[in-house]
Amino acid sequence: MLLFKLAFRNIFRQKRRSLLTVLSMAGGYILCALSFSTTEGSYKNLINLFTLDHTGHIQIHKENYLRRPKIYTNIKDIESISQMLDRRPDIVSHTLRVYAPVLAYSDLGNTPAKLIGIDVDREQTLSRLKEKIKSGSYLSVNMHNSDYSTALIGRGIAETLNLTIGGELVLISQGADGSVANDIFIVQGIVGNKNSKDKSNIFIPLEAAQSFLSMQGRVHEIAIQVDSPDSARKVSISLQEALPELTVSPWQVVEETFYKSMQSDKEGNRVGLLIVVFIIFIGVLNTVLMSVLERTREFGVLKAIGSRPSKIAQLIMLETSLLATISSGIGFVISVPIIAWFTYVGIELEKPIDVGGFMFSHMTGELSTYVLGTPIMIIIGFSFLVSIYPGIKAASIAPTEAMRSH
Amino acid sequence: MSTEKGRAIITTESLCRYYGKGETEVRALDNISVSVEAGEFTAIIGPSGSGKTTLLHLIGGLDNPTKGSVHLSGVNIANMSGSQLSDFRRDHIGFIFQAYNLIPVLSAEENIEYIMLLQGINAKKRKEKVEEMLVKVGLENLGGRRPAELSGGQQQRVAIARAMASQPDIILADEPTANLDSKTGVSLLELMRELNQEQNMTFVFSTHDMKIMERATRLIHIEDGKIVKDERK
Repeated sequence: MLLFKLAFRNIFRQKRRSLLTVLSMAGGYILCALSFSTTEGSYKNLINLFTLDHTGHIQIHKENYLRRPKIYTNIKDIESISQMLDRRPDIVSHTLRVYAPVLAYSDLGNTPAKLIGIDVDREQTLSRLKEKIKSGSYLSVNMHNSDYSTALIGRGIAETLNLTIGGELVLISQGADGSVANDIFIVQGIVGNKNSKDKSNIFIPLEAAQSFLSMQGRVHEIAIQVDSPDSARKVSISLQEALPELTVSPWQVVEETFYKSMQSDKEGNRVGLLIVVFIIFIGVLNTVLMSVLERTREFGVLKAIGSRPSKIAQLIMLETSLLATISSGIGFVISVPIIAWFTYVGIELEKPIDVGGFMFSHMTGELSTYVLGTPIMIIIGFSFLVSIYPGIKAASIAPTEAMRSH
Repeated sequence: MSTEKGRAIITTESLCRYYGKGETEVRALDNISVSVEAGEFTAIIGPSGSGKTTLLHLIGGLDNPTKGSVHLSGVNIANMSGSQLSDFRRDHIGFIFQAYNLIPVLSAEENIEYIMLLQGINAKKRKEKVEEMLVKVGLENLGGRRPAELSGGQQQRVAIARAMASQPDIILADEPTANLDSKTGVSLLELMRELNQEQNMTFVFSTHDMKIMERATRLIHIEDGKIVKDERK
């Protein structure tokens, strides 16, 4: 306690210098906290955008489907899997999908497209497809009056084939049994805009897709939503154990390219921040060294009366750590309201940013233990590191020489 | 460690301390062999630069000899490591400096308490001892003051209390009255003499002060790093 008192009083000996040191470290804290908040918040938004747009948090496929998608690589026994998923408390919802490349025709011409068969009811619980319909309405399991099944088409296809709501769309593909699949569909709605990820997609009800592709009772993909993107890995490991014959992939694997570029972007940010913090702490090192130099005589006396060299080093480290703790406290108090505003209100971007097809229009931060706690560890950790050299210097002062100094 | 009266508590053998090398070599102490008995009130006297402070520093383990040995109650401190020396000084040697050298951010009682904290004494015992020492040095009402709020004499009293709080075998005092007026110096000397007689504590001073010389039981005269006279009263 006395050593703590001694350290605490020592940092108030040079009030102005200590204040400047505290302010620079608190600045470092605020910078780190805001940067972490912005990065985490932005990426959280992006992850939510694409996981809730279509991907889901977890996907189940037949082995190798993600790497080499083929119409024949499909999942059977979907009824029992679906029932098992419905029973699990860690799964919020799931949906079933069928994929196939098709050639789409209208009176005007043709264009290649991606056919996606969706479970009409379940899809609404997992993705934002319904919200992305710009004209027309969502799919219905019931057939159109004309006895043809309905379809949602991407804006790109609508423009290329000059299709409007109620228009006839002819699809040609290859069935899973090797037959030629062709049928007419009625446009029920148009999805997204010509730049969105869905621009070349055609969505039809799952049963219609299974019938069209001759793959009744089978699907290519089961997309799952859990309570948060962070728990995807954990749940997917447990699901993989339950479904050893299939491949269960969290969103980090499904969207591997995005995940890796996000990780490398975060690393880049961290390196940039570390450089800034390093520069701040060079100033702190200078302050601590000055303080040691000024108190050379005092350290000599402390050693003369029986303080071990390690105790002197401990005192210097304690003083620097105290300064860092005070700085972190100040930084914390200033950062919390700023980050809270940024998290709960955020900034509306004048022009939405297109990030890989996802439109990013509202920028928010994140208020979490990681965002507020990591800068504390950085500031205290760095202060500990920069106090090692002055601590050793103070500990190695020879008492006789120190007491000759003034 | 024994402090039995009449027994040698400090013994130096062929103690040398040289600074520099070759033509610039300065022999601050040259071949000093001396023995101090427990309970002695010894003054090391001599002109400035004669080697008094160097001898005190070597006896106190604050400096290393170029040659020779220093035994404190039979223990050769010349071979000790930095931490061993720190522990030895903490438990066996008390220092009183000319410039008091109190820790400016600690109060008088905290300055006294600090050394006991290093010894690992519990808080209750430290508090009792601090109160006892403050009464002994006549500062019972000034324990809460910081050094800057005390006079030179009062600061030196705190330094004496600090030196004695660890109950050392030897107290080494480097010109303890040099910065004090005559009256304060005498009163401090009386205090140290009383403590010496009451507790059989060994005091070794380096001094120019006639008043210390008059009260010392032994005078060791040093000139040019050599003992020229050693007289017991």
